[in-house]
Amino acid sequence: MSSPKKALLLVGSPRGRNSSSEALGGYLLDRLKERGMEIEKVYIHPSMLTEKDQAEMLQAIDRSDLLVLASPLYVDSLPAPVIAALETIAEHRRTKMRKEQKLVAITNSGFPEAYQMDTALAICRKFASETKIGWAGGLAIGGGEPLHGKPLADAGWMARNPRKALDIAAAALAEDKPVPKEAVDIAAKPLIPQWMYVFVANRGFKSQAKKYGAQDKLYDRPYQA
Amino acid sequence: MKALILNGSRKGDSALDAASDALFHMLKGAGYEVDALLLRDLMIAPCDGCFDCWTKTPGVCSTDDEGRIVPMKMMQSDLMIYLTPITFGGFSSELKKGLDRITGTLLPFLTNVNDEIHHPLRYEKYPKILGIGILPQPDEEAERIFATLVNRNALNIHDKGHSTVVYRRDSPEKVAEKIKALLAEAGAAK
Repeated sequence: MSSPKKALLLVGSPRGRNSSSEALGGYLLDRLKERGMEIEKVYIHPSMLTEKDQAEMLQAIDRSDLLVLASPLYVDSLPAPVIAALETIAEHRRTKMRKEQKLVAITNSGFPEAYQMDTALAICRKFASETKIGWAGGLAIGGGEPLHGKPLADAGWMARNPRKALDIAAAALAEDKPVPKEAVDIAAKPLIPQWMYVFVANRGFKSQAKKYGAQDKLYDRPYQA
Repeated sequence: MKALILNGSRKGDSALDAASDALFHMLKGAGYEVDALLLRDLMIAPCDGCFDCWTKTPGVCSTDDEGRIVPMKMMQSDLMIYLTPITFGGFSSELKKGLDRITGTLLPFLTNVNDEIHHPLRYEKYPKILGIGILPQPDEEAERIFATLVNRNALNIHDKGHSTVVYRRDSPEKVAEKIKALLAEAGAAK
């Protein structure tokens, strides 16, 4: 009997354990475990701080068959430390390691439209192709801010679409198949109507500023030329 | 008129030097005061996703390091030019660490801009965004992603982006020609 396949979650958010990336990637990881895969998790931001941590991250990657990159959208792309990690992994694979692996990417953002993450996912796909890692597909979850990094299993009705999409994705990935289109489409469905999302988000920013006593400074222009 | 060059080249990579020189001279010739930031030499911590630049210290990143220079110089410029190796279609991590710190130049709120949700503008005027990417050789997919990314960055400031791609094998004359065309397209040529 062959040994179980290993899945590694790479958390790409600086918020680490309290991030939506962790919540989404962690949920997928748990489903893969239920389907017999061995799982492991690495936080990219702290891993990129020292050479020792970077080496440990690369070792974890080398041990894995499926890489799950879960990341927020930062300025239409991936956060800088995630790009730095991809550059490091590409160099590592070019010089030292050519194991057969697959990559699935999960992106989330505060914008309600999932397609705003198309460019970030295209970068992930291009990384996979340039490093000869199999592309297992990408899921984009828009309007993810209300999830507040809560574990998806505890996030109730609000997380119904991501949960369903990740359930479908896990079933396919555990059988070495790419993420089905059905999962991509469900992940892209808004969690709440757009007008409601915008209303709640805007009210949230104002109340956050009030909490910090900064409500009168919200429109400041500190770098006005 | 001021131009800011954000140089995202990685350590030991001189491939951008020809483009950097051509760009510098062309901008000077067009009457720009040129400022260039070699981002890899700046102490810029990664954005930690705290949103303080929106709700606690509006417009200013709460991390007090050289990352604050990027939005400050950006808002004092008429042109902001990304000069970067293209990595997987996108920007190098060196360029991106600077760009991740400009979020506070926008307001936190969400609003509809041309049927898409974006952040409203904090300032009345923003620089035009231009991208110059370098690739070892032509790569249709990487070039498409790069152009889209530059344009989407410009969309964040409710504008249209302009970009070009140079190849390592391009002669200095060819590089100059591409940059000249880019500046002309953006209305920034002499």
